[in-house]
Amino acid sequence: MFQRLIVALAGLAMAAPWIACASPLVKTEHVEAELVTEKAAAQPGKPTTVGLKLRMSDQWHTYWKNPGDSGLPTRIQWILPEGWKAGEIQWPYPRPLPVGPLMNYGYEDEVVLLTELTAPASAKPGSYAVKAKADWLVCKDVCIPEKGELDLVLPVAAGEPASNPRFQAHIERARNMLPVDAPGWKFDSAIAGGKLVVRLAPPAGAAAIPVKIAFFPEREQLIEPAAPQRVTRDGNGVRIEMKLADPPPAGLQAVAGVAVSDDGWPGIARKAIEVKAPLSAALAPAAASATPGREPDAIGGSIVTALAFALLGGILLNLMPCVFPVLGIKVMGFVEHAHGEARAMRAQGLIFAAGAVLSFLALAGLMLLLRAGGAQLGWGFQLQSPAVVSLLAALFFVLALNLSGVFEWGAFAQSMTSSLSAKGRYADAFLAGVLASAVATPCTAPFMGAAVGFTLTQSTGLALAIFATLGFGMALPVLLLAFFPGLLKRLPRPGAWMETFKQVLAFPLYATVAWLTWVLGAQAGNDAILALLSGLVLIAMSAWMYGRWEHAAGPWRAAVAALLAVAGVVVAWPGPAAAPAGVPVVRAGELPWQEWSPEKVAALNAEGRTVFVDFTAAWCVTCQVNKRIALNNDAVVREFAARGVVPLRADWTRMDPRITEALSALGRNALPVYALYIPGEDAPRLLPEILTPSIVLAELSHAPLASQGGPSITQR
Amino acid sequence: MKLMTLALACALPVAALANAPAGKPAPAFTVSDLSGKPVSLADYKGKTVVLEWHNFGCPFVQKHYRSGNMQALQKKYGNDVVWLAVNSTNRESSDWTEPARLGTELRDFGAAPARYLVDEPGTVGRAYGAKTTPHMYIIDPAGNVVYNGAIDDKRSTNVLDVKTAKNYVVAALEELKAGKPVSTASTTPYGCSVKYR
Repeated sequence: MFQRLIVALAGLAMAAPWIACASPLVKTEHVEAELVTEKAAAQPGKPTTVGLKLRMSDQWHTYWKNPGDSGLPTRIQWILPEGWKAGEIQWPYPRPLPVGPLMNYGYEDEVVLLTELTAPASAKPGSYAVKAKADWLVCKDVCIPEKGELDLVLPVAAGEPASNPRFQAHIERARNMLPVDAPGWKFDSAIAGGKLVVRLAPPAGAAAIPVKIAFFPEREQLIEPAAPQRVTRDGNGVRIEMKLADPPPAGLQAVAGVAVSDDGWPGIARKAIEVKAPLSAALAPAAASATPGREPDAIGGSIVTALAFALLGGILLNLMPCVFPVLGIKVMGFVEHAHGEARAMRAQGLIFAAGAVLSFLALAGLMLLLRAGGAQLGWGFQLQSPAVVSLLAALFFVLALNLSGVFEWGAFAQSMTSSLSAKGRYADAFLAGVLASAVATPCTAPFMGAAVGFTLTQSTGLALAIFATLGFGMALPVLLLAFFPGLLKRLPRPGAWMETFKQVLAFPLYATVAWLTWVLGAQAGNDAILALLSGLVLIAMSAWMYGRWEHAAGPWRAAVAALLAVAGVVVAWPGPAAAPAGVPVVRAGELPWQEWSPEKVAALNAEGRTVFVDFTAAWCVTCQVNKRIALNNDAVVREFAARGVVPLRADWTRMDPRITEALSALGRNALPVYALYIPGEDAPRLLPEILTPSIVLAELSHAPLASQGGPSITQR
Repeated sequence: MKLMTLALACALPVAALANAPAGKPAPAFTVSDLSGKPVSLADYKGKTVVLEWHNFGCPFVQKHYRSGNMQALQKKYGNDVVWLAVNSTNRESSDWTEPARLGTELRDFGAAPARYLVDEPGTVGRAYGAKTTPHMYIIDPAGNVVYNGAIDDKRSTNVLDVKTAKNYVVAALEELKAGKPVSTASTTPYGCSVKYR
């Protein structure tokens, strides 16, 4: 009889959910706190979820369990009836909260901190008083420690309780923000060179993980929270590279934390996953990869696509002014051998391809190694050294003179065109492949910088595969001719046309020399140009002597020619002190460029000025085209003036680690890059790599108009 | 998109914090004190120097002054070390206090740092990577940082916690006095963020 009464009372309690949610609101200066319940009642022996709901004033925040650089996590002390138990706080994933140069992890607007309360199995149905003593630090630019005592009357009932509709939405939102386990995923981590890398790998066959990811470590003082995190693809997973705290924690076995993806995770219905990544020797941090994962997904994801584009790019390389002549020579060699032995031709084609692929691999490997060693390099790095530019100019000049017919290579070149021993021809084919690659690289730098830069953000294996494919693509036309000599029959028969063709091929090379000379001028000044051109004159004399007395016997011809050539290189070699100050020259009708520095951008922005940064280099051809077409356009120049936009030029023609760093912060490592910093916007706007005046004007329209009396001063 | 604030905020050319980890030479500085006189770290070569990042507007700092903890340390070690309080709060912050008023507040609390440094542009704070108030550094007579971190192990604003906390600065100073190396040289500082410009 008595028991029945209790059941009836319990039923009444279930029917009256307002009893369960009758927690008085605690109002402090900056927070409204309240306890919310998921269910109308608790069941004996079973956990029920209760939440501490904190509603912060506008722009005020409370903290996650790891508060970041400063702050304090919210704490709850439960005062419960006899025999009840409270679990730990289940923290929803935080959001990054930058404060000047520092970074906090926490919550704005509202957060519900869930906790499981368990009534003992022996609990009798009825109403129980539950109290939470909570204290939290709430901060905006200043911090206030606040606290509240929150009371809740929690009914206990035997049956399955009804849900509590009043707070369902709040609890659900909090629950959706709880990190979940990712079944079948593999995590590992590594520490080296002041970096912490965490790798997330979904189960095989899963879709690729999105790259907009932020990692929040559980442990404080593990990473520098304010340093940018770099997310790069690794197979269908990602690696997240973070700056390690100095000193790093001792005795670290595993990195625990929460990874959050705005776009969700494949096969997981939540945005946050729980990560526990043991430190692993197998995972070496790729110092080579350096892109916050914003760009890669725009460029295209799968490995197959990347390789297909690399192949296409390699084929297109054959049309580059510096590669085409080399290819031309090779093809002409084939033309002469068109009726030769098919097997030997196939072998030659393969060896040519091997030479090309190996050279590309060697160059890419060298760059990856240097980057791994900490050097700040982007693609095109070879051209940042005046010495390399001068040497390339000399090399192209010699090749051009040869094509013009000033001299013949002698034994070396005869092997290309006439019948020498098979062995000699193989060596020659290999060298031709190497030469084609060597001359191709300066061309890839300006034209393919962005694409190659993207490649470098991938894993080392994939980067090497892409470079190898690039080389293979370049060798492909020759390979095709070698394997299908029938194609050669479509070419004209060998004859006088070949000599004309060869001489015509010299002109793209002269053009390349002209361009390299200009690059050198931008790097090392007028005097360096004079040195280079004088050196080229000596080299021309050497080539001419070598060619003029081609049939002369005796050692003097070769000796004098060699002497002149060496003298040419010595004269052309750029002096170490030949670097001019990089102050941009302002011409009428052009933008009034000023020299870039990160401090200047910050200072101008702080004054309320919009800043446009042109990351450029003399050797970047796309940059020059954009400058002519889009930036020095009358309408654009007028708009810059109207909006008081300050144009800054970051010149990467010579190596400058600050620029490399700024580029990598923008997620790029190749030129061109255009960034518009508008005061009040928390991120610079990045313009596309190929500019038109209308693109620039459209982007400028976001900047505020300059006030009449000069730059406006904004209040901080 | 909100997530990307993390990456983007860092991409902004806000001058990043450097660091002065334990075991490395302490960055040199010259900065004015409350009365406007310049103070250089080099002035104290051969002495042990304590740097205390300070801001009375911060409840964590208040905890250590309301409890009398910080003043007691400043007085106790006043003869052995040069205790420099550093304030890197920027002028626009609501925590900014004019030097004259700060002088009064310090007197009212009975604070006794050797000098009180007004690092308004935050140069010293950035050079040391000071993150919180308080954030404590100890520099040995050779000019090396030997301690970098929290004042104690009770991360709270509760005055009562001071009594039961293990004070890392006291432990380090006692070890230095005894000629021993500092056993706990790095801890995670806690407190309010330094109000950098």
